[in-house]
Amino acid sequence: MAEFLMVIIGGLKIGAIYALAAIGLIVIHKATKTVNFAHGGLVMLGAFAAYLIVVELNWPYWLAYVLIPILIGIVATLLEITILRPLRRADLFIVIVATIFLGIALSETFRLAQNTEMLAVPAAIKGPPMMLELGEDLIIITREQIWVCLGALTVGVIGLLIFRYAPAGRSMRAMAANVRGAQLCGYSVNRVYAIAWFVGGALAGLAGVFAAPSHGVSPELAISVITAAFVAAVIGGFDSLLGAIIGGLLLGLAETLSAAYVSSAMKSAVSFLLLFVVLLWRPEGLFPEAKGRDV
Amino acid sequence: MFDRLRRNRAFRNLAPAATVVLALLAGLAVDGYGQFVLSLTVSAIVIGAALTMLVGYARCITLATGAMMALGAYGSTLLVIKLGVPYLLAVLCAGIIGGIGGFLLAVPGVRFRGHNLAMVTLVFQAVVVILLREWRDVTGGAEGLNVPPPTAFGMTLTDDYAVLVLNVVVCALVLISLAVLVNGAFGKNLRAVTGNEVGARAFGINVERHLIAAFVASSAIIAVAAALNAPRYRIIDPDSYGVIVSIFTLSYPIVGGMQSIWGGVLGGGILRILPELLRPVADFIELFFCILVIATIMFFPGGIVELLSRALRLNREGAAAAAGPEETRLAGPAETVSPSPAASSGSTVAPGGASAPAALITQRVRKRYGALQAVDDVSIEVAAGSLHGLMGPNGAGKTTLFNAISGFTPADSGRIECFGEDITAAPVEARIAIGVTRSFQHVAVFPKLTCLDNVIIGLGANGIWDTFARSFDESVNGRRSAKEREAARWALAAIGIDGKAEAPAGTLSLGDQRRLEMARAIVSRPRLIFLDEPVSGVGHQEAELLKELLQRINTDLGVTMLIVEHNIKFLVDVCDTLSVMSSGRIVAEGKPGDVIARPEVREVYFGEKKAAP
Amino acid sequence: MQAFWKAIARAATGLAVAAVLAVSAGPAAQASSQGVTDTEITIGALGALTGATAFIGGPGRDGIQLAVDKINEAGGINGRKLKLIFEHAFTPAESVAAAKKLVESDKVFVLILASGSTGAAAAANYVRETGVATYNIYGATPIIRKPFAKNVFHSAIPGAEVSSQAMIDRAFEARPKAKKIGVLAGTYAFPQANKKATIPLLKKKGVEFVVEEFDQGSRDFTSQLLSFARARVEAVLIFGSFSEAGFAIKQGPEKGLTGVTWVVDGSAVNDAIVPILGAENTKNVWGYYNAPYFPGQSDAPITAYKKMWTAKYGKAPQGRPNLYDLVGYGSTYVLAEAMKNAGKNLNWDSLIAAWSSLKNSKPSNLGGVEITFPQSFSKTNHQGSTELGKAAIKGGIWQVVPK
Repeated sequence: MAEFLMVIIGGLKIGAIYALAAIGLIVIHKATKTVNFAHGGLVMLGAFAAYLIVVELNWPYWLAYVLIPILIGIVATLLEITILRPLRRADLFIVIVATIFLGIALSETFRLAQNTEMLAVPAAIKGPPMMLELGEDLIIITREQIWVCLGALTVGVIGLLIFRYAPAGRSMRAMAANVRGAQLCGYSVNRVYAIAWFVGGALAGLAGVFAAPSHGVSPELAISVITAAFVAAVIGGFDSLLGAIIGGLLLGLAETLSAAYVSSAMKSAVSFLLLFVVLLWRPEGLFPEAKGRDV
Repeated sequence: MFDRLRRNRAFRNLAPAATVVLALLAGLAVDGYGQFVLSLTVSAIVIGAALTMLVGYARCITLATGAMMALGAYGSTLLVIKLGVPYLLAVLCAGIIGGIGGFLLAVPGVRFRGHNLAMVTLVFQAVVVILLREWRDVTGGAEGLNVPPPTAFGMTLTDDYAVLVLNVVVCALVLISLAVLVNGAFGKNLRAVTGNEVGARAFGINVERHLIAAFVASSAIIAVAAALNAPRYRIIDPDSYGVIVSIFTLSYPIVGGMQSIWGGVLGGGILRILPELLRPVADFIELFFCILVIATIMFFPGGIVELLSRALRLNREGAAAAAGPEETRLAGPAETVSPSPAASSGSTVAPGGASAPAALITQRVRKRYGALQAVDDVSIEVAAGSLHGLMGPNGAGKTTLFNAISGFTPADSGRIECFGEDITAAPVEARIAIGVTRSFQHVAVFPKLTCLDNVIIGLGANGIWDTFARSFDESVNGRRSAKEREAARWALAAIGIDGKAEAPAGTLSLGDQRRLEMARAIVSRPRLIFLDEPVSGVGHQEAELLKELLQRINTDLGVTMLIVEHNIKFLVDVCDTLSVMSSGRIVAEGKPGDVIARPEVREVYFGEKKAAP
Repeated sequence: MQAFWKAIARAATGLAVAAVLAVSAGPAAQASSQGVTDTEITIGALGALTGATAFIGGPGRDGIQLAVDKINEAGGINGRKLKLIFEHAFTPAESVAAAKKLVESDKVFVLILASGSTGAAAAANYVRETGVATYNIYGATPIIRKPFAKNVFHSAIPGAEVSSQAMIDRAFEARPKAKKIGVLAGTYAFPQANKKATIPLLKKKGVEFVVEEFDQGSRDFTSQLLSFARARVEAVLIFGSFSEAGFAIKQGPEKGLTGVTWVVDGSAVNDAIVPILGAENTKNVWGYYNAPYFPGQSDAPITAYKKMWTAKYGKAPQGRPNLYDLVGYGSTYVLAEAMKNAGKNLNWDSLIAAWSSLKNSKPSNLGGVEITFPQSFSKTNHQGSTELGKAAIKGGIWQVVPK
C-alpha cells in the first residue's frame, strides 16, 4: 500500500511538469491555431535560464520564478514576430514543419553554446523528506514533490483565470472562436497572436524552472518535454486548459504505474499507446471544451 | 524545346532515374570513400523522392521515415542471416515489409491531418524503435546487428564501385516506378485530393484509400532504399533509425521542393552530400539544416527546384518570344455541342420521352439537425431532359436536400431514385456509373492540375486500383489514356475552353473555372447533373453566358439538370420547371412563370424580402 | 516506345558488365606507409561531436589534439611532425563513412577510434579488411576485440567483462556479505553491453540479483527504485551516464532505499554527478576509473594537465576535462612512442611490430604528464591496460582512492 502511494506521488510530480508544459502549448494553439512543436525548446531555454540564475549568477531562487517567464515570453514573442508572422498565410502543414525544425534549432543552439551532457540545478525547496507512517510502512514525500505539484496546479489555475477573465485572455478567446469576428470587434490579429505567444512562452519558461531540478538541463529535454506535453494535451482535448492539467497528471501516473507494475522498459511505450488510444477512440480528447455555436 | 521535352512522358518518367545513373559516372572519378558516399546518396535520392510523393503530393507530414528505414534494413538483414534468403530477394521483400508497415501506420493515420498525423507517425516511429530495442533475441537489441556484405548472382560484393553499381540499378528501377505513379493518374489524384477534397470525393476519389496508398508506396520505397544501405552501415542499430533521422529526412522534400519528384531527388541528393562536404564544421551541421529548412519555408517555399526552374525560365524567355505564341485560339462559345466520338457510356437518352422513367424522384426525404427539421418530407420529381430549378430563401433546406440527393450527407429517411434506380445509399462511383454528376457552389476545381487533367478526373475511373492501372497506361502512352485525353478535349471544346487545356486550373478566371467544372461534369456523358448555385459570385454578363451554356448542354446532350440557385431571375430564365422550398418543405411546383406568381411563393419570398429582384 | 525499352535493356546490360568488371577488380592494394612524408605523419580519428555520445568524441578530439601539439612542440617523432584529422561520426553508418574518408581519401597513417562502442563496432570489420593500424581508445565492445586482429590495438578502456568484474568487486568490498544485488541498466547500447557481461559474473558469484531498466535520458526512477526496495537489495550496480545514475541515486532515499551501496560504471564517474546528487548522497557511491587521477584532484600531474588544457581551450565547462580527455591525451603519447620505436622507416608493418613490443609506455617517456596508467602490449595481447582505479566521492569530487 505504502509503495503504491509512493508510486502515485512520484507519478503526480512527473505529471505536474507535463501539465505545465502542456498548458503553454494549448494557450498558443487555442489563440493562434498553431501547434508549437518548438515548445519543448522553450521549456529547455527556461531550464537553462534557471541554471544561469541559480548556479552561475547565484541569485536567489525566487528571482528565477519571476524573471524567467518574462524572458522566455519575450523570446517566444520574437519567434512569432520574426518567423511565424510571415508564415501566417502559409499552409498549416508548413507551419508545423517550421516549428518542428525551430525546436531542433533551439536545442542545437544550446548544445553548441554549452558543450556538456547535462547541467544540474539544485532543488528550489530543500530539507529532509517527510515521512508518513502507514501501519508498518513508511511513505516518503519530498518537499520538492509537493512544491512542484502545488506550483503546477497554481500556475494552471492562474492560466485558466487569465484566459477567462483578463482582457488579454478575452481577446485570445475571441480570436479562438472566430478570427474574422474578433477582427471586426477591433482586436488586432498581430497583437493577439503576440500576446498568446508571450503567455505560452512564459508558461514554458515556468515549466522549465520547475523541471530543471528534477530533469537537469540538456538538449534532450526539448524533445522529451514536447512529446509528453503533446500527449497530455491530446488526452485533455487540445483546447482545454483544465483538460491539459488532468491529461498531464494522468500521463505521469500511467507512465509510473506501468513502469512499476508492468515493466520498467515499457515506460515510454505507455505514453505513446495512450496517445494512440485517445486519438482513435476519442479524437476530441477526454475533456473536450464545449464547442461554441459558431457555424 | 525544353518545354516539349518536359511534356514528353517517357522523359518525365526516366529523367529522375537518369540522375542516379549519373552517380555511376561520378563514381569513376572518386575514391572508395567517395563511392561509398555516392551509394548512400543514391538511396537518399530515392527516399527524398518517395517523401515528395507523401509530403508534397499527399501533404501528409510523416515522422516515421526512420521507422520505415528500420523495417527495410532489419527486415532484409534478418531474412539474409536467419533464413538465408538471397540478398536481392531480401531487398525486394524489404519493400513488402515496408509496405505493410506503411499500411499499418496509414489505416489509423489518414483520419488525421496536421499535428495529429505528425503525432501518430511519431508514435509508430517510437514503437518500432522500442520493438527493435526490446526484441533482443532477433534484432540484437540496442547493440545492433551485424550486416553481411551484399551478394548478387552468387558473388559477394566487397568493392565500393560494385556496390554502387548494384545500388544505382535498383534505385533507378525504383525511381522509374515512382515517377510513373507520381506523374500519372495517381499523382494527379493526390493533387486533386489536397487541392479540393470535396471536389475529389465527388468524382469517386476515395481520399482515405489514396492517402493509404501513398503511405504504402512511399514506405515500401523507403524500406528498399534502406535495405540497400544496410550492408554499407555494417552494423545497424535502433539509434541509426531514430526520430532525428525522420526529422532530417523530412527536410529533403521541403528544401528540394514539393511540386515534383525532382524536389525529393535534388533535396535528398544535395542534403546527403552536404554533411560530407561540411565535415570541418560537423558540429554545426544539424543547426545548419534547421536554418536551411526554415529559410526555405520562409523565403523560397518552392525549394531548390523552383529556384532552378526560375533561372532556366529566364534563359528561355528570350527564345520563346522569338518563336511566337503556340496556341492563340481564343476560347469562344462553341457553335454546337456535338456528341463525343469517344463517348463511353453506351446508353443514349431520349429527352423527355414519355415512357422513360423520371430522371430523379425523391420520396418523403427527411433530414434533421438537432432540433431543426432541415428537410421535412420532401418529394419531388424531375422529368428526364428537363431543366429543373430549386429555389427558396436562406435556411429553407435547399442545400441539405441537395446534399442528400447528391449523396454527400445521407438523408435520415426517404428514398431517392435516378432513372428508376435506387441511389439512396449509392456511393459516388456508382452514381457516376448511372450517369449522375454534380458541380459545386464554391468552385471546386483542382488548382494545381491542368484543365485537361481536371476533366479527366471527371471520368470517374478513380478507384485506387484503376488509378494505378491508369498511371501505368499513361506512362506507356496506352490506348486508355489516349481515349481519356480525347474525351477530355471534347468536353473542353464543348464548353469552349479547349484553348486552356494545358493551363493549371488555378490560373483561370472564376467564370472559366465554372466552365471547367461544367466540362468536368459532362465528360462522363452523364444523364443528370446537379448544379449547386452555378452563378453565385459571377458577374451579370458571365451569368448570361453560363445560362446559354447550360441550355445548350441540355438540348444538345439531352442532359437533365437540377439547379439550386439564389438568383431567381436566372432560374426563371433557364428552367423548364421550378420547385420552391420553405422551412424544409416544398411549397410550390410548376412552370417558372406560374410558380413565382403564386401568392404563397410571393409570401415566402417577397413578403419577407421587400426588394424583389 | 519499343526503342525506349531497347535503350533500357542496352543500358542494363552495360551496367551489368560494369558490375562484373568492378567485382573482379577487387580492392586495390594499399601502400602501407600512406600518410607518412619526410616531415609529417597524418593520423586520423573519428568520434561523435554531436548526439548522445558527444561527451566521448568531443573530449577525445581535444585530448588527442592537446597531445599532438605538445609532441610537435617537443620536436615531433624522429623529425616528423604529427597532423591530426578528426571526423565527426555518431551512428554506425557515419563511423564507416568517416573511417573510409580518413583511410581512403585523407590517406591517414593511423586511425584512432575515439567513438563509443557502436562506432568502434561498425568500423571493426572495415579496419580488419584494410589492415590500417588502428587504435581503439574508448570502445569496450567485444566486436572490435574478437577475433584478434594484428593491426588493432586497444587503450586504457578494457572490455566489458573486466570493468563489470571491477564493479562487482567494489560492491562486495563495501558489502562483503551482500545477498541481493540490484542491476539498473539503460536500454541503449553501452549499458546493455555491460549488463550482458555482468549477469554471468553475478551468476558465477552465486548471488541473487534483480534487473531493472530505463530509457536513455531518464530522470525518474520511482518504479525501478521501489522494485529494489521491495527486493531489499544491499547494493545496486548502475549502467548508464552520470546524469541517469545521478538522478537514480538521488531518488534512492526518497523511495526508501537507505544505506544501499551504489556502484556506477565508467561513464558515470564524472564530477558532474555531484551537483545532481547533492552532498548528502555521495557517501555510499563507488566506481572505478580508467586513469590514476580524476580531473578534479589536485595531485601534481593532473594539475599540470589542467593548466595545459585551459591554456589551449579556455575555461572548462561543467564536467570537462573528463576521462575521455585524459585517455585521448595519454593514448596519443602511447601511439607516438610506438611510432618513435618503429624508427625512421615508418610503415604499417614496422609500426605494428614496434607497437606489439611496447612495454610500460606512458606520456612521461616523451615528456608528457602522467595522467594515465602505463600501457603494455604483446604479439597476442593488444589491450594496453586493464588497470582500474577505485573511485569514491571525497570532498565533493571524485577521487581515486587506494584499494
